[in-house]
Amino acid sequence: MITLVKFSYEPGEHEAEKASNSYLMSLIAVIVGLPLPIINLIATLIFYLGNRSGTYFVRWHCTQALLSQLSLLFINSFGFWWTVSIIFTEETITSKYISYIIAILIFNLMEFIITIYTAIQTRKGIHVEWWFYGNLTNLICKSK
Amino acid sequence: MKKTIIQGLITIILFFSTWFALMQIDWLTVFKVQKVTDKTEEKLGNLFWGIFQNTEKENRNSFVVSSVDSIVTKICSLNQIDRELIKVHIIDKEDINAFAIPNGHLIVYSGLIINSENQEELTGVICHEIAHIQLNHVMKKLIKEIGLTVLISMTTGNGGSEIVKETAKMLSSSAFDRTLEKEADIKAVDYLINAKVNPEPFANFLYKLSDIENETTKYLTWTSTHPDSKERAKYIVEYSKDKETKYEAIMKIDTWVKLKEKLKK
Repeated sequence: MITLVKFSYEPGEHEAEKASNSYLMSLIAVIVGLPLPIINLIATLIFYLGNRSGTYFVRWHCTQALLSQLSLLFINSFGFWWTVSIIFTEETITSKYISYIIAILIFNLMEFIITIYTAIQTRKGIHVEWWFYGNLTNLICKSK
Repeated sequence: MKKTIIQGLITIILFFSTWFALMQIDWLTVFKVQKVTDKTEEKLGNLFWGIFQNTEKENRNSFVVSSVDSIVTKICSLNQIDRELIKVHIIDKEDINAFAIPNGHLIVYSGLIINSENQEELTGVICHEIAHIQLNHVMKKLIKEIGLTVLISMTTGNGGSEIVKETAKMLSSSAFDRTLEKEADIKAVDYLINAKVNPEPFANFLYKLSDIENETTKYLTWTSTHPDSKERAKYIVEYSKDKETKYEAIMKIDTWVKLKEKLKK
């Protein structure tokens, strides 16, 4: 799921803090924006934009945090609008709906735990690459 | 690049398989959702039926009741519908109307029976209403129109008698939306065919009523609340075209004549 990889250079104290913050940002936003899935994405996006010109280590972790939020946005939004349609239209609660909600809860929780772990590790300057997102970030984020 | 795509696909598959695996569990039973909904529906059914019982005159003549019952029983038994679920009531009123209220209560006005030219027309309308019950349209409509919170508060006696009365009135005199009506029509045709009843008179009934709709709208509640009767007649005929079988009457012809005479008195 997650692998600890040696980064191309040893990140400094200041860099580690900033990189770690990108994950914290998404954590706080998760708590605030629980019913509205778009909020965590916006928060992470703002942080990403603010650090676009940062060092490679910071940029890399901002991108990984952003990408992970992006995919959660899709599944969470679907769940959100499904719930809205149950409340406001003739759509009713079905086993299918409850299963979906439990599935997104599991995936969100998983992401939540991994995010906390990564925030702690990056704060120590340890580089953490996630399954799929790490590779994707490597493709997008290049050292200048 | 290839590795990333494979990992991405695996992640997506993992999500959908989690969803699919969870779907194997009947969560509605686990969380007792169905039980609560059923209880609410049962209470609402009794509540609304109580209102009709107090304000209208129910026909309890054993001949009348058993004749209409024979139609419902035949439809139910040949369509695997639990007969116990459908509770038929006949009301002495000249309006041409029939409607369903929660918990399987099916109310038929004597005006509908008197104005049906033959028993197939009446059977068609009854099938249409049974379809609404079986497809859970009644509760869907109520939840959409007045909301679940108000419905639940009604069952606990906090709804206010005016709201309950108004809702009962709404159930008897307003249609479902177009898609639900069409769904019920198509289902009704299936019921009719399975019971070996010709669906054509049902289509004719709609057509005929839509023609005289403008002249005597006063008593034509059923068609005036069910819009586009002509269009409905058309798709009923279209749908039943290739399903023709050997049709037979549910009631004997003299029973039908006697039923109408009894109600006219």
